[in-house]
Amino acid sequence: MMTRFLRETADDVRMVARGWRWGRRPLVPRNAEPFVPEKEKYVFPTEWARRRPARALREVVQEVGLDPLLRSQVSPRVTGLDMLGRVSPPVLFVANHASHLDTPLILCTLPDAWRRRTSVAAAADYFFDTWWRATGSAIVFNTFPIERRGGSLSSTPGDLLGQGWNVVVFPEGTRSPDGWMGRFRMGAAWLAIEHGVPIVPVAIRGSFAAMPRGRSWPRPGRPPVTVRYGAPLSPGDGETAREFAPRVVAAMSQLLDEDRTTWWQAQLRAARKEIPDPSGPKVARWRRVWEQTAPPRVGRRTDVWR
Amino acid sequence: MSRPGFVLQVDDRTPPLVVHEGEGFRLERFPIGTRVVYPPESLPAVRDVDATIRHALLNPEGSEPLSELLRPGMRLTIAFDDISLPLPPMRKPDIRQRVIEQVLTMAAAAGVDDVALISANAVHRRLTPDELRAIVGERVFRSFFPQGLLYNHDAEDPDDLLHVGVTDRNEDVEINRRAAESDLLVYVNVNLVAMDGGHKSVPVGLASYKSLRPHHNSKTMVQSRSFMDPEKSHLHHSAIRMGRLLADHLRIFTIETTLNNDVFPAPYEFLNKREWEWSIRDQASMLAARRALGVAPRKVKRRVFHSLESPYGVTGVHAGETEAVHAKTLANVHRQQMVEVQGQTDVLVMGLPYLGPYNVNSVMNPILATCMGLGYYFNSYRGCPLVRQGGAVILYHPVPNEFSQLHHPSYVDFFEEVLAETTDPVAIEEKFEQSYATDPWYIHLYRTSYAYHGVHPFYMWYWAAHALDHVGDVVWVGADRHTVQRMGFRAASTLSDALEMVSGTVGRSPSLTYLHNPPHLIADVH
Repeated sequence: MMTRFLRETADDVRMVARGWRWGRRPLVPRNAEPFVPEKEKYVFPTEWARRRPARALREVVQEVGLDPLLRSQVSPRVTGLDMLGRVSPPVLFVANHASHLDTPLILCTLPDAWRRRTSVAAAADYFFDTWWRATGSAIVFNTFPIERRGGSLSSTPGDLLGQGWNVVVFPEGTRSPDGWMGRFRMGAAWLAIEHGVPIVPVAIRGSFAAMPRGRSWPRPGRPPVTVRYGAPLSPGDGETAREFAPRVVAAMSQLLDEDRTTWWQAQLRAARKEIPDPSGPKVARWRRVWEQTAPPRVGRRTDVWR
Repeated sequence: MSRPGFVLQVDDRTPPLVVHEGEGFRLERFPIGTRVVYPPESLPAVRDVDATIRHALLNPEGSEPLSELLRPGMRLTIAFDDISLPLPPMRKPDIRQRVIEQVLTMAAAAGVDDVALISANAVHRRLTPDELRAIVGERVFRSFFPQGLLYNHDAEDPDDLLHVGVTDRNEDVEINRRAAESDLLVYVNVNLVAMDGGHKSVPVGLASYKSLRPHHNSKTMVQSRSFMDPEKSHLHHSAIRMGRLLADHLRIFTIETTLNNDVFPAPYEFLNKREWEWSIRDQASMLAARRALGVAPRKVKRRVFHSLESPYGVTGVHAGETEAVHAKTLANVHRQQMVEVQGQTDVLVMGLPYLGPYNVNSVMNPILATCMGLGYYFNSYRGCPLVRQGGAVILYHPVPNEFSQLHHPSYVDFFEEVLAETTDPVAIEEKFEQSYATDPWYIHLYRTSYAYHGVHPFYMWYWAAHALDHVGDVVWVGADRHTVQRMGFRAASTLSDALEMVSGTVGRSPSLTYLHNPPHLIADVH
């Protein structure tokens, strides 16, 4: 009798824990998601996170906490940092986005001087929905809220660039559901033109395999991840966002291809306009996911050429 | 601002959903793609109920104010809905008490001496003094009950019935004599569902068996599509004809009240909410309730459930001429309960709670459970039934072979004798109804004890006639196998088994719709 009661209690608790996702972000059935009528005018203030005390705290958190933790869980390999020598801040880092690992990967692979002056655009509806999440991400990652549900651009990224801060932007607006690169939105190109700053493309591979959507921690085994910084792109004179944006996408595609093969092969393919589509092959979804969940393989090259 | 009704499409993110099953509930994982119909959230209640009642009485629809209808020396009768409404019973003070107190205050001010209060229970069981007190309140009870001026209507008392006439369709109209011979009959109603109220109050609530027969029969019920939609209900058409005849003979002042959907009190509020919106506290309450119900003896469970009193809010009070009042009342009920649903379904799933109109403070026996599922819940639609013709219905209820000998003696014989022979409502009506309705022992128990009339189980079965005529298969989940077999149905242990069993009727991949009721809802099916 008692055993049965205990067993049924355990079953019930398990069912509720699973059904209501204890310890994880609760989910709403898709067709029950609330209608979002009007963009909230309230913007979580993050200026404080770029003042001296918060910067000092972040330095400690990133150096002592984030960086060792990240490197203990994944094996990042960074290339192309020399590209940063060709520009001076502020710049706009534009990266593909497949995982929550992407932001810490960029921050932890940047040289310290760059990292300390880098801020990250984070979805207002996701990272800034509660005060504690907003405060936490602002302290650790120096994030500021950005609206991704259409409407006018938040004025903050422009302000930050104006103040000399580098800004990390994920133009896809959200994490890729299958690891392949999604459609880039125009915001980054527009920002670069409006504020006359160069765009540094950052190609990240392997983060989807390490920690895709739905996982809250990287999978075990320190999966490899590569972060490759590309050559800076500056908007030409009189170039519009509509013209500049495809150039950014092309550079991003070439950078991903370069990371997969070699710089020379990617150059040749680019000249022949044979760069593979970064949005992946039009095949069954499982095959797309399958390919992206494999750890990134780098092209045939020796470490000398890294 | 409360949210309207909602049809959920179950997906991989949907948590298990609550399904009521008698004195308990289970959490069921429905197949992906199942539609779940949720009632609208509770409408905001009126702030000052007493002021709203006063306003309704002094500014009635199509009638002079009540105070002008009252005069010294007149004969005033106040009839009110019996204990079958609302469900669960309302947290005190009951809305009927508040209305009756104001009517009596006006009557006292006008110098009316001859006042009687009658519970309009038709062929329902008599109410005990305690139950009467719970409805009308201590003050009214103490003023009238000891003098015998607060009592139950007796549909079998030849001295207290008056044959008022026949309608153009030859329907006998015979109601309570005291009410029929009054200078003014005030009817106080609680309109919980769209079936209640209007001309169904006086001509049905105060009727004799003779006057119930024209509309309480299998033919009318099959043709009422549905009886929750008065416009398309033959039951209501008949009641309206009777009501209009009565209105020519008798001054009736109808007071109708509507309630919101606040059905479950603390700590069971989670049952009023949509599952994915449950807080940690709601989840903990649910777990605690489930575990407690898991170990509690049946008697304790019953006591706990039957002691629930709903914290209903009042959404409207309207008074005056019956039809004008009822139009406004129905609009209020629809505002609270109507949910738009696109298209019919192959399989309709419904969970039956512990309580129906006829087992307040009693047992929901198998016939009442059938009436609840295939009667009330099945008919909670407007337009066309939620399940397609020939589709299947899956019901959740334990359906124990359990009857209250005090309240439902004729049900026992109906179950053992009538259903053993046939389950066809038409055949049952032809062969057995008369003998049960005129059985002197049942009549004696109805009049002197607290038993439902001998004919009542027949009406319950007719209530399900439309569903029995419409659906191809009925399976009960978690039910007593032998009991449901007697009623012509089948039992399954789980939803998967039930779906397997109905696959012969609806195929291997049927569309499923789960009616998330209670709180009450009406599916407006397009």
